[in-house]
Amino acid sequence: MTPDAINRLVAQLAKLPGIGEKTAQRLAFYVLRSPPEYARGLAAALTEVVDKVKLCNQCFSLHDGPEGTVCSFCSDSRRDDRLVCVVEGIADELAIERTREFKGRYHVLHGVLSPLEGVGPDQLRIKELLVRLQGESPIEEIIVATNPDVEGEATALYLTRLLKPIGLKVSRLAQGIPMGGDLEFADQATLARALAARRDL
Amino acid sequence: MDRFVDEALVLSTVDYGDADRIVTFFTRDHGRLTAFAAGARKSKRRFAGALEAGTWLKASLVSRGAGQETCRVDKVDVVKSFHRLRDDLPLIARALYCLELCRELTRDGQPHVELFEALKDYLALLDERKAGPTSLLKFELDALQYTGFMPRFSPCALCHGPTGPQPRFDAQHGGVVCFACSPRVPHGVFVPPAVVEALAGLQAGARVPLAPELRARARELLNVFIAHHLGRQLKSVAFMEQVGLD
Repeated sequence: MTPDAINRLVAQLAKLPGIGEKTAQRLAFYVLRSPPEYARGLAAALTEVVDKVKLCNQCFSLHDGPEGTVCSFCSDSRRDDRLVCVVEGIADELAIERTREFKGRYHVLHGVLSPLEGVGPDQLRIKELLVRLQGESPIEEIIVATNPDVEGEATALYLTRLLKPIGLKVSRLAQGIPMGGDLEFADQATLARALAARRDL
Repeated sequence: MDRFVDEALVLSTVDYGDADRIVTFFTRDHGRLTAFAAGARKSKRRFAGALEAGTWLKASLVSRGAGQETCRVDKVDVVKSFHRLRDDLPLIARALYCLELCRELTRDGQPHVELFEALKDYLALLDERKAGPTSLLKFELDALQYTGFMPRFSPCALCHGPTGPQPRFDAQHGGVVCFACSPRVPHGVFVPPAVVEALAGLQAGARVPLAPELRARARELLNVFIAHHLGRQLKSVAFMEQVGLD
């Protein structure tokens, strides 16, 4: 008989995405064989994530500062208040941040419009974006950085419908051939968009 | 394991794991089927943006043998991506609504060649900006007909006489009934005769754009009818209502 404590750990690990019963068992035995400090550190890290990490009140990115404060992207005075990059999720925000090219602010939608999944504007942080634009907002341009798939395009078009009448500049990430890509293997939609958005040399 | 090639339209996709995707295809000769596309989100070469809802492609699939419902996607060649419709929110909404309607009206492994052709043609019309809002009603009526759910707008679904000036619509009885038969359909709702006439005309092949008000009433009626037969409302209907599209 496997001890209940191990069964409980396996059951919890198996709930993680991409982890099946066998992998969960392997991970549980790895934790058991490791020095006790490792398991305690892991448990403490998990607890800390749950207790401390929350959404920023302004951009809805993750942050672990004191209650009532905003995240490091929103509080950094060196960033440009006039530019806001709208992304689907935290991973996209980090991907853009890794480029070191963007120095504006962010707004995380936490999803995209998905008619087939029944995700409409009310399920996203779109209302909160509109609140940020109210009053004497310094924001001049919104860069819509949703994925170039059907849902991402629908979200970008919907945001454009809302934001253009306010008088804001709304831009979209360029679409086309990836760096180091191969024209031969590019799909027709990508090539067509690359041609439409060609630039002068 | 059987390998086969079929024309297919991508009905929907679900991301799986770090890089894979589960795709629901509507194939011409094999009907609706679900396939596993390993590495679809990571590889820029293998599927190169082809596994997007609404794409028309030639898919090389491998069935996993008896008892296994999911196929494996071996290779795809895009025939047409209909990417121009992605520049317009109402067109995206209509395209996705049609994809969901076809996904829900069909069953795995049951071919519907006429519906496949109708969907492909409608996506092409949307892509060429030649399909107005009324054409969506026509597509819905066609889709219902090809899958055996055709509503009857004329004559009366019960006595087969004229529907008259006070028709009632009852999804349970398959369409419109006349005033004389209305006591037999306690859940029937009154429908303006103009709406019944417009829908009957579309069903008969009329190509006249309907006024927005008439279209809205016709849409309401079809939503009720489709929801009755599927047991639930389509998800994209709520989306279209939320973003104010028809």
